[in-house]
Amino acid sequence: KMPPSEKSQHAKPFKQRKSLATRKEEVAGIRLKFPTKIPVIVERYHREKYLPSLDKTKFLVPQELTMTQFITIIRNRMSLTPSQAFYLLVNNSSLASMSLTMAEVYKDNKDEDGFLYMTYASQEMFGSCTECTAVELSKAG
Amino acid sequence: MRVPETEGSCGPPTSHIPEAMNSVSPSAAQYRAGAQQEDLLPPAGRRPPRDPRNYFGNDEPDEVDRLKAKLMSAWNNVKYGWSVKMKTSFNKTSPLILLGRIYVLNDEDEVERFQRDFVSRVWLTYRREFPQLEGSVWTTDCGWGCMLRSGQMLLAQGLLAHLLPSEWTWPGAHQLADVDMEVLKPRSPSRGGLFPGPPLSRAPCQTPRGHGSGVEGSGRRAPPGHSQDPHSEAVHRRVVSWFGDHPHAPFGVHQLVELGKSSGKKAGDWYGPSIVAHIICKAVANATDIRNLAVYVSQDCTVYKGDVARLCEQGVTEGLSAPSPSWKSVIILVPVRLGGETLNPVYTECVKSILSLDCCIGIIGGKPKHSLYFIGFQDEQLLYLDPHYCQAVVDVTRDHFPLESFHCNSPRKMSFSRMDPSCTIGFYARSRKDFETLCSAVTAALASSPMEKYPIFTFAEGQSQDYVLGEHAGMPSAHRGCILPAGHLSRTHGGSMDDFVLL
Repeated sequence: KMPPSEKSQHAKPFKQRKSLATRKEEVAGIRLKFPTKIPVIVERYHREKYLPSLDKTKFLVPQELTMTQFITIIRNRMSLTPSQAFYLLVNNSSLASMSLTMAEVYKDNKDEDGFLYMTYASQEMFGSCTECTAVELSKAG
Repeated sequence: MRVPETEGSCGPPTSHIPEAMNSVSPSAAQYRAGAQQEDLLPPAGRRPPRDPRNYFGNDEPDEVDRLKAKLMSAWNNVKYGWSVKMKTSFNKTSPLILLGRIYVLNDEDEVERFQRDFVSRVWLTYRREFPQLEGSVWTTDCGWGCMLRSGQMLLAQGLLAHLLPSEWTWPGAHQLADVDMEVLKPRSPSRGGLFPGPPLSRAPCQTPRGHGSGVEGSGRRAPPGHSQDPHSEAVHRRVVSWFGDHPHAPFGVHQLVELGKSSGKKAGDWYGPSIVAHIICKAVANATDIRNLAVYVSQDCTVYKGDVARLCEQGVTEGLSAPSPSWKSVIILVPVRLGGETLNPVYTECVKSILSLDCCIGIIGGKPKHSLYFIGFQDEQLLYLDPHYCQAVVDVTRDHFPLESFHCNSPRKMSFSRMDPSCTIGFYARSRKDFETLCSAVTAALASSPMEKYPIFTFAEGQSQDYVLGEHAGMPSAHRGCILPAGHLSRTHGGSMDDFVLL
């Protein structure tokens, strides 16, 4: 009766689906074709229960795009309302400096494979009795 | 010890004694202070006078009910973690910060000032037996409403800041006198910090700085034995009554649940710190009693100064006698996410800096799944008020309703490492000038992170729409992006999952 757990519904994270060599090759290929664009992987936080999945995970982003603009684009793709909580995390830090450009974030945080990895999440909910936890889990599934 | 006004002054006998009067025992079962109060009260004061018509009637069911209520209360409190009663230990020499005030607990006066300050914060907890929440069967929020309660506490602090002088403390604080805390000497290697120091009441007055120690912030507090100001007390009581558990209280759980419906929440659901920020914003906008106070909720970790200004200049009430202010006071709420699963330790110092600011009215968040209202810290531990204590409802529409259950005498701490990364930070600014001061003070506090380029949140000039619309005009493709077909880029790796979205 219990719905399948959240995790089993989703494929492994991008990084685990492909070898480092494959990912490097992919970045090299795309950089050759689009030298001014930054390859970004945007994935849902694995414990996220409220935000929808994005239809795409790989983005080629102009270097001069600001975080405000990038977040707006992602929000729009998911049809979120302005008051819905949405956070982009890079290396476990929240990207709050909205004036930062993609180039700056890339420079500080790019992975060894050449991609910039971002995770999106909303906020956790709070309540605390065991019965409620069961209800909550079944709702989330 | 004086008899608390609550039960002693319940006025002439009335024909209708609400349940609240019988079961009111704010902290009775849990707190030693409460227990002592009961013991000391004269028998007549313990129970309200009964309606003569009922006097010889059914005393027994009433006793059964009382017993039942007590059992329920005990069970709930076991469930929600209040069963283990222990004193919280505070370091004697490290600064203890409570909403921007610094205390060093190395002398008794300072300890007392801290206690009075702590007890004066409004404490809102789970309640049971309140009028049914509309469209549901719930008559309690035990087990699900903790984030709403934390949000209420944050708002209550904002309202106290808005309506009362900053040095105000609750004159009734002494009624919860026996505060559950002890002050320890700093850890010494030989004792491993495990042995308790002298009990609080006997803490020796080691004051290298003499009585001057009060100068550090806490000196602004009223001296002990200050007289009761009836106006302030009326305001305090009114603020508490706004959080009453009945449908007409502007910030009661009934109203908040109602306002949460547009965010897809209903009674019995769990709430998050961001949703609660938006609910608070709507509740204050709807409240007819609250004038010249606005609530701003930031989006995407950015406080747009232009948006705050527009909000504060909007619909300022024309005062009849007083000159009308041209700027509303404002509560600024910033929902954030400070990491994935756990608090990213790089943010700890910054959270401390924020809680040290005068303008900060606290943080609503918690441990995972367990909401708490953070109001300060000492060393590596956060100081909080915990809503997970199920109390009987209090009828706040009565004159002189008892206030004890709305204040807490048990300061508690938890490690920063257990803090859930989802939270909402609150600030208050009374005037335009205060807001400008706030912006620079908070910006400085945010820079205390070792990752200066990645602050918890930021302030931006202008309005949010300037940032999205204006700069986007030249980039028509940006809104949707076009998807490059598979195989277009790489001969070896195809498949729809591998498509890039070109922005």
